[in-house]
Amino acid sequence: MNLIEKIKILSDSAKYDVSCSSSGSNRKNKKGGIGNAAPSGICHSWAPDGRCISLLKILFTNSCIYDCKYCVNRSSNDVPRASFTPDELVNLTINFYRRNYIEGLFLSSAICISPDHTMELLLKSIKRLREEENFNGYIHVKAIPGANKTLIEETGKYVDRMSVNIELPSSQSLKLLAPQKTKESIIKPMGLIKSGIIQNQEEKHKFKSAPQFVPGGQSTQLIIGATKDNDLKILKLSESLYHSYNLKRVYYSAYIPVSSHPNLPTISGPPLLREHRLYQADWLLRFYGFNSSELLNEENPNFDELLDPKSGWAIRNIDKFPVEINKADYFTLLRVPGIGVKSAQRILQARKVTVLGFDDLKKLGIVLKRAKYFITCKGKYFPQRSIPTNPASIKDSLLLEDNIKVRENMEQLSFFTLFPGIMAVNENIARISGEL
Amino acid sequence: MLYYIYDGTFDGLLTAIYDAYYEKDSPEQIVPLNNFVDNFLIRRIYIQADAEKSRKVHDAIINKISKDAMTNIMYAYLSEHENAGIFILDYLRFGFKVGKIADSYLSDDRVYNIRRLVTKITREKQLLAGIIRFRLLQNNIYYAPIETQYNTACLLGDHFADRMADQVFVIHDVKRNYGVFYDKTKWFMSDIELNADVVFHEKELFYQELWKQYFESITIKDRINPKLQSNFMPKKYWKYLIEMK
Ligand code: SF4
Repeated sequence: MNLIEKIKILSDSAKYDVSCSSSGSNRKNKKGGIGNAAPSGICHSWAPDGRCISLLKILFTNSCIYDCKYCVNRSSNDVPRASFTPDELVNLTINFYRRNYIEGLFLSSAICISPDHTMELLLKSIKRLREEENFNGYIHVKAIPGANKTLIEETGKYVDRMSVNIELPSSQSLKLLAPQKTKESIIKPMGLIKSGIIQNQEEKHKFKSAPQFVPGGQSTQLIIGATKDNDLKILKLSESLYHSYNLKRVYYSAYIPVSSHPNLPTISGPPLLREHRLYQADWLLRFYGFNSSELLNEENPNFDELLDPKSGWAIRNIDKFPVEINKADYFTLLRVPGIGVKSAQRILQARKVTVLGFDDLKKLGIVLKRAKYFITCKGKYFPQRSIPTNPASIKDSLLLEDNIKVRENMEQLSFFTLFPGIMAVNENIARISGEL
Repeated sequence: MLYYIYDGTFDGLLTAIYDAYYEKDSPEQIVPLNNFVDNFLIRRIYIQADAEKSRKVHDAIINKISKDAMTNIMYAYLSEHENAGIFILDYLRFGFKVGKIADSYLSDDRVYNIRRLVTKITREKQLLAGIIRFRLLQNNIYYAPIETQYNTACLLGDHFADRMADQVFVIHDVKRNYGVFYDKTKWFMSDIELNADVVFHEKELFYQELWKQYFESITIKDRINPKLQSNFMPKKYWKYLIEMK
């Protein structure tokens, strides 16, 4: 089989993995070597579906001994199969990298022969890249569930990020759709990576020259909408992954029907808006100081698809508003719908020298469409006739203003969240370029 | 109406700032010669670029305002915006008055005008770091032609010299006719005149095909959204993108 066909088959089945981020690592180039990592990540292209292409995202092989119901590569599925050799993969990566097509490699694999055998193949390719090609670009590799501890630890020494996809958010769902996988086989490698990272940080503390271990951290992915699990369950899971496993990112992937099976739901299209709401909520957990129980509870276990989670929270907590822009602290500002991290930082900065009015806010680049119902400047609401202040009419106004638009742009919104790096990216560059 | 006309170099611009400051002039515009449209109401002063004056302005900015301010005006200059010169003068006047804290006046027009330009340059620079495509030529040089909106190619030298440390490359700003060259030890800028067609290495087209195939298969057909794609990657940059051909 020629290389073009292999790429076709092996990237085609890797594409449902949404993570493409190349961020979080600051690996430097070595003398006579090629490549380095940009801490905030770099996008190299955008596919026609609007997703950022940063890494060469590809499977080593798509021949699988397992039969997970939701997966294109399941053993019972009749699809063409292909495998790379380590040489082919190394060559491809280097040649793409030298032409600046990619930021690095994201290597995953179906399980061929056994988890250990698969992990060995991945390790071999990556080692060759690092040691023989002196490649120092970004490498993200999947830890294969069930692979031997030493293999996973050894791999960690060569890569920037490692991940294990949980995919299904509960044991029941696993049993239903991926009966050969267990919660333990997934959680175990995550624990290994976590302790490897912690141990490495301690070593680094003692000796600066200690080799790196997964410096870009670990991430995982959850499939949305293939099972009955509600948003609350999913968000709680993410929250504990951030807290107990120190994950860098949890990715959400709207389930795209790739097969029909009685255990799978029949849906007309991927639940993109739901995925989008989960990404928004995930941001609230990570950067805005929210916790999951503020956003959802047993009575309301799913997000309102029409309203973003922060606006939903603000409307339920209207007694905490309005917030005075010139007085509120950082975290209070962050809780205002429409004010993000960058906006809050700008407000704090500008407040040092100016008492801010609404005109100033506009120049700071702050969009008032949502915020105006929740803030005052110099004690006054936004100058607009009859600004609503009770929860029901605020909600109506918000929906009126963008309900229709959200529906029209639903896919667009969703894609934006697939590239959440973009804001951070720009901020970071601004800082880097400070020293020209 | 008083216009300062400089030679188009950054040194020239800083010299203009120096002169405006020390002559206590208030020019209406500070424009590069090649962008100057004459009209009979305009009084002209031609500025001779002067390395000494330029260095003094540079030092004053670093000492009295900040290093960031220096970067800001450099970026504003690279924007080639028609008002860049006068925006820079206003910004620096303000900066010399209030000092280090100048950039906190986010809603003051003198700061706002510069910041807007800086954001645009920063964005383009960031985008280019990703979407430049090198082609391997027969003589083993990696060659990347680009057409950019702003004059940002010169900001990419450090990034690619660090990253592609062991390959000889040229980034060619086709519109402005200059290139960023790297020879495996250092990078430098120089004018370019292409007097022959570029000849690809025998393997080049093969890798281009593989890349196009990858680009095609990575797309999720249920989620096609060309508008979003061109929001992130505006069409004006597609010309030299292998995967968009
Ligand atoms: S083990 Fe992975 S590749 Fe194999 S069927 Fe399950 S999800 Fe698909």
